[in-house]
Amino acid sequence: MSDTPVLQVKGLTKHFPAPGKKTVHAVDNVSFSIEKGKTLGLVGESGCGKSTCARTVIRVYDPTAGQILLDGEDISGLSQKELLPYRKKMQMIFQDPYASLNARMTVHDIVAEPLRAHKVCKTKREESEMVNDMLAKVGLNREHANRYAHEFSGGQRQRVGIARALILKPELVICDEPISALDVSIQAQVVNMLRGFQQELGLTYLFIAHDLSMVRYVSDEVGVMYLGTLVEKCEADEIYRHPLHPYTKGLLSSIPIPNPRLAQAKEKSGLEGDLPSPINPPSGCRFHTRCPYATEKCRTVEPPLVDAGNGHMVACHAVNG
Amino acid sequence: MDASNKWERVSMDAADAERIYRKSRTFFGDVWYRFRHKPTSLLGLILVVVLLLFSCVGPFFTPYSYSEQNTKLANIPPVMTVYPGPEEGVYFYVTQALKVIEVDENGNLIRQLKKDKDDAKAKRTSFKYADGVKVYLDYSAQPNVMCDADGNRIEQGITKWNNTYLLGTDQLGRDILTRLMYGTRISLMVAFIAALVNMVIGIFYGGIAGYMGGRVDSVMMRIVDIIATIPLTLYVILIKMCLSDGMLSIIIALSSVYWVDMARVVRGEMLSLKNQEFVLAARTIGSSTRTILTKHLIPNALGPILVTVTMLIPSAIFMEAFMSFIGIGISPPMASLGTMCNDATEALRTNPYQLFLPALVICVIMFAFNFVGDGLRDALDPKLKK
Repeated sequence: MSDTPVLQVKGLTKHFPAPGKKTVHAVDNVSFSIEKGKTLGLVGESGCGKSTCARTVIRVYDPTAGQILLDGEDISGLSQKELLPYRKKMQMIFQDPYASLNARMTVHDIVAEPLRAHKVCKTKREESEMVNDMLAKVGLNREHANRYAHEFSGGQRQRVGIARALILKPELVICDEPISALDVSIQAQVVNMLRGFQQELGLTYLFIAHDLSMVRYVSDEVGVMYLGTLVEKCEADEIYRHPLHPYTKGLLSSIPIPNPRLAQAKEKSGLEGDLPSPINPPSGCRFHTRCPYATEKCRTVEPPLVDAGNGHMVACHAVNG
Repeated sequence: MDASNKWERVSMDAADAERIYRKSRTFFGDVWYRFRHKPTSLLGLILVVVLLLFSCVGPFFTPYSYSEQNTKLANIPPVMTVYPGPEEGVYFYVTQALKVIEVDENGNLIRQLKKDKDDAKAKRTSFKYADGVKVYLDYSAQPNVMCDADGNRIEQGITKWNNTYLLGTDQLGRDILTRLMYGTRISLMVAFIAALVNMVIGIFYGGIAGYMGGRVDSVMMRIVDIIATIPLTLYVILIKMCLSDGMLSIIIALSSVYWVDMARVVRGEMLSLKNQEFVLAARTIGSSTRTILTKHLIPNALGPILVTVTMLIPSAIFMEAFMSFIGIGISPPMASLGTMCNDATEALRTNPYQLFLPALVICVIMFAFNFVGDGLRDALDPKLKK
């Protein structure tokens, strides 16, 4: 059992119907797996399918194709009713702490909702004890429990969101850009809290972000997505030291460097052009429209995601030959 | 803190940083706070309360019933022109039917005098006041007036408030004040029940359409569109014609049509709410559809729903009054503001007060509910939050 990854995603595909019999290729043939207690960071531009990927994994959306294995069990084809026991094992932390909490509910009710949905507690007393314990763990106290979400600051709200996600003691937590809506000063606080919980409870994270330096800090492995596909995946430090895919290189060069002397020395290889439409993705390698090294092969043949050595997976003809 | 060093860091421990200094207020506490700080909405609310008291408690304090007729005292206005009689403190009021009514100092109607003899040549009628004492009514010239002790016309009458029927009587001698109370009661009752039924149907219909989305939504909303293409008034009249008379049928007619607005509002709210992150969160948690609807969607859509309901009440009142006015609403002798207006049109020129009073009450009701609705909409609008 310990060898089985907590989450295995195989060939996950999610297409949305668009007006005029068109299809939005939001996620195409994405595969990855996360070992217990590890964190996979998923990065990419806005609109590259990160959030869709996360929401499909947690089965808010039904996948078009592919498998989602949670603890080795396929949950991709289950109905919402059959999913209920699996929902206990996976929870989600949302991006916008203002939109993700119901303004008409008290913090106590918000945090207790998972307990009620899964009928964990038999008595009110047991329930409020669990809620208060959980709130204490995220640094909120009993007084906060009876207040409404709109009275809290962004950081406090996000901690309420974390409390709600963790109260069922899930195995897998999907963090959908949990810090991008927060103040920089609060971001570190929330991220450190998430890391603390990971060590304490042995949580497994699928961490989605577009802040590359934050992803490096929290992740064991990093996956880079471009237009619905996974273009590169390897150990966190490796991807920052030796990026292979031209898109990853471009992304990394966009990280601001705090030291101006170093920043000047850095080669300018920023990405040019816009993300093509996912309704009609480019043929072959999807990045070829913006890639400086694109060849004829890139325009016609889709590159597979293959190991370029030491588990460094990359999907690029230029790298893999 | 030491005053000499203004730049010294203020110490703040962790518990302090988490404290919320704002007073804890629920959502509706907030709404009430904003509502009562707007004068017009508060005025509207007070008017609604006054109208409710007037229509529900009022009838206990009136000695008349809405259907009790007294044709001898028909068409007596609230303000009468009276003429002094042979004794101190005795006055006479001349009705339009050339009858003479004795009125006392305070404006109470005492009795109708018995006719003695009509002198057609002199255009004078004598009435017996007491044993051997006669008074004369002169109808030789307009207005018809009483004569004094010497037999001369009293051209200048005295104005007195009617103390027996405070707002006068209608053409059948029924007390208008009492009928107004019952009329308002019927109007409010019809409106509240119709609004409630509309709200329930609208929430269900719109909620299902909005939540299910896709094809279900398209079909359900096209049905609403089809219903809404024909003026709703026409439906109400047609439905009312098919049913028997009475209050129940008027409520059925109103409630079976006006929910389309509510359904549209609720559906729109559902569409925007169901993709919000907190609803997604509830789904990832594994909450049931019922929980999502009752705990997340409907409470969040309650603001626009409430506003629509308060705006629906005046239109239902107006509709009921209109139907009663054209004669297919509440059946006599039950009083309704509409039937009272209708009855009054026959004698509009001689007794304008009979139309003016129920029309005024309709106006006040409309104002009150529109003010409350406006106030609610402003209070519920989060963009106006201070």
